[in-house]
Amino acid sequence: MPDKPRYQMAIDLERCTGCHACSVACKVENQVPLGNFRTKVYYYDEGNYPQVRRWFLPVVCMQCVDAPCLKACPTDSIRRDDDGIVRIDTNTCLAHGKCEEACPYGAIYVDPQRNVADKCDFCSHRLEVGMEPACVETCPSAALVFGDANDAASPVARFHEKHIEELAVLKPEEATKPQVAYRGLRAELAKKVAKGRNHDPRSYEIETWAQLRSEFPRENPGDD
Amino acid sequence: MTDDTGRTPSGSRSQDTINRRQAMRIGIGAMASLGLGEMIVLRPGEIAAAECDTPPGPRPGEHGRPKVPHDYRRATQVTGVCLNCSTVCGIVGQVFDGQLVKLAGNPADPNNGATICAKGQSGVSINTYPERLLYPLRRVGRRGEGVWQRISWAEAYDEMARRIGDCLAAGTPEQVAIHYGRSRISDVIDRFMNAVGSPVVLNHRALCSLNKRAANYASIGDTDWETVDAAQTKYLLNFGSNFYEAHQGHIHFLKRVVQGRFDNGAKLVTFDVRLSNTAGRSDEWFAPFPGTEGAVALAMAHVMVDAGEYDRRFIDEWTNYPAAQLREFLRPYTPAWAAAKSGLAAADIERIALEFARSRPNCAAFTNRGSHAHYNGFNNDRAVILLNALAGSIGQPGGYCYGESERVDPAKYPPPPPLPPKPKIRTDLEDPPDFPLANLWQKMKVGELVYDYLRSGRARLRVYISYTLGSPTTWPEGRSLTVDVLRNEELIPFHICSDVVYSETAHYADLILPDATYLERWGLDTRNSYDFRPYVTLRQPMTPPPADCVSFADVLIELGKRLGPQVSKYFQFADHEAYVRHQCRHVPPGDCADGFTFLRKHGVWCDQKLPQNRGAFRRLLADHDLAGSETDAATSVIHRTGESGKREAIGVMVQGRALRGFQTPSRKFEILSPTVIKQAAKIGIDDDGLPRYVPVPSHEDLPDDRFVLVTFKWNVHTQARTAPQKYLSEIVHDNPVWINVATAGKLGIRTGDLVEITTYRPTAGPFRATGERIGSAHVRAFVTEGIHPRVLAVSNSLGHQFGGRAATAQRAGRPAGPAFDAAVLPEDSDLSDSLWWDAAHGGSGAGVNINAILPIQPAPLTGMQAWFDTVCSIKPLGIERRA
Repeated sequence: MPDKPRYQMAIDLERCTGCHACSVACKVENQVPLGNFRTKVYYYDEGNYPQVRRWFLPVVCMQCVDAPCLKACPTDSIRRDDDGIVRIDTNTCLAHGKCEEACPYGAIYVDPQRNVADKCDFCSHRLEVGMEPACVETCPSAALVFGDANDAASPVARFHEKHIEELAVLKPEEATKPQVAYRGLRAELAKKVAKGRNHDPRSYEIETWAQLRSEFPRENPGDD
Repeated sequence: MTDDTGRTPSGSRSQDTINRRQAMRIGIGAMASLGLGEMIVLRPGEIAAAECDTPPGPRPGEHGRPKVPHDYRRATQVTGVCLNCSTVCGIVGQVFDGQLVKLAGNPADPNNGATICAKGQSGVSINTYPERLLYPLRRVGRRGEGVWQRISWAEAYDEMARRIGDCLAAGTPEQVAIHYGRSRISDVIDRFMNAVGSPVVLNHRALCSLNKRAANYASIGDTDWETVDAAQTKYLLNFGSNFYEAHQGHIHFLKRVVQGRFDNGAKLVTFDVRLSNTAGRSDEWFAPFPGTEGAVALAMAHVMVDAGEYDRRFIDEWTNYPAAQLREFLRPYTPAWAAAKSGLAAADIERIALEFARSRPNCAAFTNRGSHAHYNGFNNDRAVILLNALAGSIGQPGGYCYGESERVDPAKYPPPPPLPPKPKIRTDLEDPPDFPLANLWQKMKVGELVYDYLRSGRARLRVYISYTLGSPTTWPEGRSLTVDVLRNEELIPFHICSDVVYSETAHYADLILPDATYLERWGLDTRNSYDFRPYVTLRQPMTPPPADCVSFADVLIELGKRLGPQVSKYFQFADHEAYVRHQCRHVPPGDCADGFTFLRKHGVWCDQKLPQNRGAFRRLLADHDLAGSETDAATSVIHRTGESGKREAIGVMVQGRALRGFQTPSRKFEILSPTVIKQAAKIGIDDDGLPRYVPVPSHEDLPDDRFVLVTFKWNVHTQARTAPQKYLSEIVHDNPVWINVATAGKLGIRTGDLVEITTYRPTAGPFRATGERIGSAHVRAFVTEGIHPRVLAVSNSLGHQFGGRAATAQRAGRPAGPAFDAAVLPEDSDLSDSLWWDAAHGGSGAGVNINAILPIQPAPLTGMQAWFDTVCSIKPLGIERRA
């Protein structure tokens, strides 16, 4: 095995059952406040009765090689480490929120309880002690595949080897070079993933399942 | 008893008196702590923002409390067993400084391994919920008024012992009842009730799985729950099971179905009236009219027999019904006939039947509530199980399998002696004579009738003990009949409730006992193993219960010790831990000092040397089994006189070999059930014992303006007990009514519109078959392609009035919840500041409780609640709440 790991994830949408175990495991593991997510699972209902199918799309930080959040940070508090993981320096972060605005995947947020930016770092604290990310460990259908891409025996390397022709990234037009790849990705599902916003409350309501959009303007502002 | 001691006879105190007390707290927020003897008012939805705790969040511009990632080098791992649904997943907890911070699956568990679901992951939040019950409370005002006084455990035990002791002294032990849901301590509950001498142990099985279990018993006798060998299968026919979200073997089954499909090339076909996640991800989804699943299955059987695509040998050797007669029985059930009943295409029924048949024997047809929670559900499920007999897939790799041991076997895991005998008396509550199949194979009872029986005087109670029971929200007519009876102090003179949060059931109690969570208590557990070897798993406290919380098992054991020598002689062991330790005496020690320690360390014990058992009916009987046996010439059933002196069937001769057979009376797969004929005759019903199709009477000639209202579960919720968990309610908190696009178009209903749903009683059946209106609910509409045009669906699990802020969707300071000690359980700023789905802040709110307007409708013979038969109407209210 080479000295330096290069962590990557692959998400097999054929196997995903939309169970939310990943997103809840992540919230517990990383103490993510309500209304914010490091890991989300979007739903999409496609077709007309009775020919209807449901699609699921788990989204984590893509650990982009060309990370828009990193470029947008006014305090240079976001860095990409040698192991491929994009991390936030919470000591220097001043919670400007520019990173959240820049992220094409809605994967970064400003923690309202701590006033620092936060996002998925593949559970780096678990990697340090030889554990898998919380989402990967708990995934009942083995849809989340993780590991050191430099280690040919790692699950992610073996998955790449087997399925390389079938892999795609989310929003390739953003040219971010994500380190998270999907198998079975339908490009239009990306329309559900908000750019510049971590969580629109409406995005989890079932009436948005059949919609391919990420913005839900309030048509009845009197509600608030 | 006087004011000064804080002891008050229940129900004797007026609100005025209470208000004069300085110790009285209303609206509670805040309470640094509730002192012994102090009082509190708990009412639904009460928020006292002025009194709330200061949330720990930062002020603008400040860095808050830093997030410290868990340093797992400092953690202690403790194994346990999840109980956030009924699946029974082995888990491992990570404990830091006495606090449980994370859960994962136990890799040693043969079913779930290292994986658990969203509910399982959420479990840690139950322990630290700021509105958790921490102290015993005694009712002070009128019942249901919500006025409570903190008391000591000594006082609680004294009162319970006095109340139960009165029944014993009067010679009426059957006036003590326990009613529980998902307890996983039924052995301790039974022991307690047997010791007391009361048979009135009530449950919820008839609201859950009764018809499915009864259908398995009637067909193969060995089990109430099949174990489909999904990882090795080639074809799965799923009639109404949403195992991607809510099956009783959820993760165990789900992960193997995914393996079977994507690693083994299996096809999954789902029949469900609604596009569940399972249906939405199946290779094919069909939406039959509700309750016609049996018609579809019989037509498939017809196709298989007609085409000669079935296992003739299995039918001849292993069923009790000759192939020629089976062909005659199936003759009218053509695909065209089933198409007319179900609305599916005849060509699809035929095509799927042949695909299934040609995958034999590595195929399985299985069911769940979608097929069986109907008036005709028992026969629907028998028809589906029959498909496995035709495919010869029973007990085959990739087929419809069943293990031998699905419960903790007292012979292998003996509880401490002496065991109390079972009481000889009976009451209608636990043994309803109108439903002869309810208690025939196991004590499934007819839970949905308990409150009606109490109201109508068919049984009398003096002490009602509820545990893990959310009947005001989970029962049909819960908010009317259930609550009326729970509120009535003549029908239920004394109600003891053990719970973790202040639930709707607790609200109508006289004494509330703060329970330990499943992460803080003991118990041996098991499930049907998808590895086909029996195993046992240990639930143990990962952390001690906080404050005065005590596990209900320990309460019963302690109470048993206080009920006089006739009862206490059965409780001569220290506590539930000692009880479980005794149960483990035969578990091999492995790498530990003894079996109990082994289980504490590893969580699971399974004898890997045992061969896998997918179904033992073909097992040869050994010579010692056959010693002294005799074979009935007419039936080929082998009998022997057992140790009890009773003549019992032990097997059957097949092709000249003495085999174990199935545990039915004929030792064969019973297509024709003489048992059903005999039991039906007892109540004057003429049943021919065949799994024939019986239409749901209320659905015959359904007018165009009437629909069938069904309910369902989400992947992040159970029926009643997950709503207080913030990360789960964050994902699903609202439950609009699903309505088909075409139907909505005709009615002028758009997504977001408020509609009125009105429900009606059934027109036939054993209980109140009047067809009269029950009630109405106002619900938001969700217009979707994913539902049958004649079906409306509203999820259960939501619409809570109690259970704290996460359950009721209220963003505020610590509200009127039993958060009696901030020093024990600190406030959570998520609930005070970040609960974004509060309707008062623009969110969609906490949903509706649709069970309130569903009729009690037990199916004939079995008593299973026919959840999915409810006839309703819908009308738009002209209020567009959200576009």
